[in-house]
Amino acid sequence: MGSPPAGGSRTGAGGLRAVRLHGWNTTLTLLGAWLLLIAISGLHRADFLAQQTVLAVTFTMAITGVLAVGQALVAISGGILDLSQPTSLILSAYVTSVLLALGVPTVVVVVVAVALGAAWGCLNALVIVFGKLNPIIVTLATNFIGVAALFLVFQSAQAPINSALRAFGRGYFLGLPDIWWPMVFLVLVVGWLLPRTRYGRRTIAVGGNRVAAQARGVSLRRTRFGVFTAAGACAGMAGLLFAGANAAFSPTAGSDFLLPVIAAVILAGVSLAGGRGNILLLLLSVGFLSTVPTSLAFFGLTSAWQTVFQGAILILAVAIDGYREKRARRLPRPRRRRAPGPRRARSPALAVAPGRC
Amino acid sequence: MTREIGLRHRWIRGGLALVASGTLASTLACSAPAAAPAAPTTAPAAKPTTAPAATTAPTTAAAAAAKPTTAAAADAKPTTAAAPTTAAAPAPTVAAAAGAAASKLKVGMAVGGNTCCEWMKYQGDVARALAEQRGWEYVELSNNNDGPTAVKNADIFVQQGVNAVIEFNGQPSVNPVLAQKFSAAKIPVITYDIAQPGFYFVGIDNLAAGLAGGQALGQIAKDKWNCQPDLVISAEGEGAGIVNTWRTGGMRDGLKKVCPDISEDRYVSFESNGQASVGLPVARDLLAAHPEARKMLVVGLNDGGVLGAIQAAEQLGRDQDIIGWGQDGSFITGPNVDPHLAGSVFYFLEGYAVYSFDKVLDPIAAGSPPPVKDTAGDPAARVEPCPVSAAEAQDIPDTQARAQQLLTAPRGTTEFQLFCPHK
Repeated sequence: MGSPPAGGSRTGAGGLRAVRLHGWNTTLTLLGAWLLLIAISGLHRADFLAQQTVLAVTFTMAITGVLAVGQALVAISGGILDLSQPTSLILSAYVTSVLLALGVPTVVVVVVAVALGAAWGCLNALVIVFGKLNPIIVTLATNFIGVAALFLVFQSAQAPINSALRAFGRGYFLGLPDIWWPMVFLVLVVGWLLPRTRYGRRTIAVGGNRVAAQARGVSLRRTRFGVFTAAGACAGMAGLLFAGANAAFSPTAGSDFLLPVIAAVILAGVSLAGGRGNILLLLLSVGFLSTVPTSLAFFGLTSAWQTVFQGAILILAVAIDGYREKRARRLPRPRRRRAPGPRRARSPALAVAPGRC
Repeated sequence: MTREIGLRHRWIRGGLALVASGTLASTLACSAPAAAPAAPTTAPAAKPTTAPAATTAPTTAAAAAAKPTTAAAADAKPTTAAAPTTAAAPAPTVAAAAGAAASKLKVGMAVGGNTCCEWMKYQGDVARALAEQRGWEYVELSNNNDGPTAVKNADIFVQQGVNAVIEFNGQPSVNPVLAQKFSAAKIPVITYDIAQPGFYFVGIDNLAAGLAGGQALGQIAKDKWNCQPDLVISAEGEGAGIVNTWRTGGMRDGLKKVCPDISEDRYVSFESNGQASVGLPVARDLLAAHPEARKMLVVGLNDGGVLGAIQAAEQLGRDQDIIGWGQDGSFITGPNVDPHLAGSVFYFLEGYAVYSFDKVLDPIAAGSPPPVKDTAGDPAARVEPCPVSAAEAQDIPDTQARAQQLLTAPRGTTEFQLFCPHK
């Protein structure tokens, strides 16, 4: 869990070892911070260590975690961030609510919701790839457009209260919220597949060094399309869970997720410069960030403090990310015997998995 | 590569600055539309809640009445708004509008633009339809629940030369600025629910509405739990300022009138911003921090906030003994009413325009402006609160249907007369 499968090295064997240790550092730091928070809260009030707290935290984790997977994929691929997640989330949630009200079978609704999110991601990718525009600006703009367009369609939406989805949104499996399990499943599957599949390694390679990836025959366009579509599908899935878990929502309801999702991605060690990150660590970062507001409530602090803490954590995380980048660049280059023939472009991901893209 | 990373980081910083500033949420919803109120003819940008929000051309009343949610086609003749005349008086500008001396007015409507509530959209639609019925010009802008936007909109109304303005401004801190601008332009203003000296007050007595709701909930608590709840949860909406104090605080006071012995430490609050989805996670944490509480009462600024707390209790498996009573009636009608929402206080907010036109604008158009009554205690038009239990609410149509029925009713008929079971 701690090793960074996604492009662990920037500078060969020595660097790879260092970054692996660094990956464990991230894991241990996150785990330690989370346990410390739990311990302090538990010392303050013993009833913090109760099932109600676990439920509150895991409910909060569910949607944030699913969105964080999509956001992490975008970051690892070098797409920086997808700021249009709130729109794809609400678009999916709204269509889910409408279809359920029309009596469409839940299975069909699930497929449509995820597909809709994927389509939104695909739309983003179209603009980014063919317009050759900066992803963060494009997704910021599409989010503006999307929210405004959603306002033209609806003001408030509700999934039918007696629908299977709403029951799922408040139900439990093995003592934990139903909606938490799809998040865990998604994190585990994506986290396992990313460094182990050809497509995953291409994603990492493009984020690590696009020139080198291109030299290896990796299609930037296709990869970016795939990444943004997958991220959109994640947001679509989150929208589905959101519609099930919320009694009612408005077109702007997704905006509150952006801050914790980005913070979770950075805290998990995903590099905003691309090419590095471990999806599995999202379980820790999302868990930690989801525990903060619950802990604050036990300290009697208002929800305004939650935003203060999340903002501070985000700044800290960005600073750590910048530090990591600098440190990675400063790692000593290993002395190698230069092989005869043309020099090869150096790529972190390709160094891990040479010739497999 | 280094250069690329540097460039990326600059983009990242720009994006994160938006995020970290805590304004992204509102920016996403509001800034783009709000940034564009340069001219009301670009109304769709100024008010995303209704497509053709700020068209100045009058539209057919019939079409609007049939479908108030959409703007109708424009075939009525737009009247040229008469510029405010010199008959000004320090006391707000009524004479000036009367001096327009035409039977047709150009009315500006600043809708609230809070994303919490569907009725805000219909409030504009009903006003539009009533203006169209009279053959008046109608200009609609959205305040986007944002003070600076409300101020910008005031400037636009002045530039447009409207004869009267209807304001639903959820950010009352800028009301003095609005008053100054409209007074200087000698434009009479009607304000909904939030009093401002010099503005005609049309609306509910929010405190009375809060008290009524609290007493209704208190009666349930008395019957069911002998006035001994474990927790009384308030779903606050601090952004609404004094309205939140009146409604949410009024509900607590109403509850105390029926159940005076509930100790203060059982009263807890959370910020819902008037939205179920915003309130849900906060209420969930609040409930987790009170794991011993079983019998719970919920009051709040509106139905949405109350619903957030109820949903939180359902998710934590503690919904057996939670009872909420809301305000505004947004989520107490239709097929999706939560069984734990025991009732709500209707104001029929979407129909406020009937009072405005009937009691203020028609007299102004007729050349006999009414005296300015600018307080909730002595309003230009008083809207009656209508506390309704969930069972009674089943017979009340939803917001859109109510708006449609209102527009087909005889002129001057109010929604209270049409729909309140306790007339």
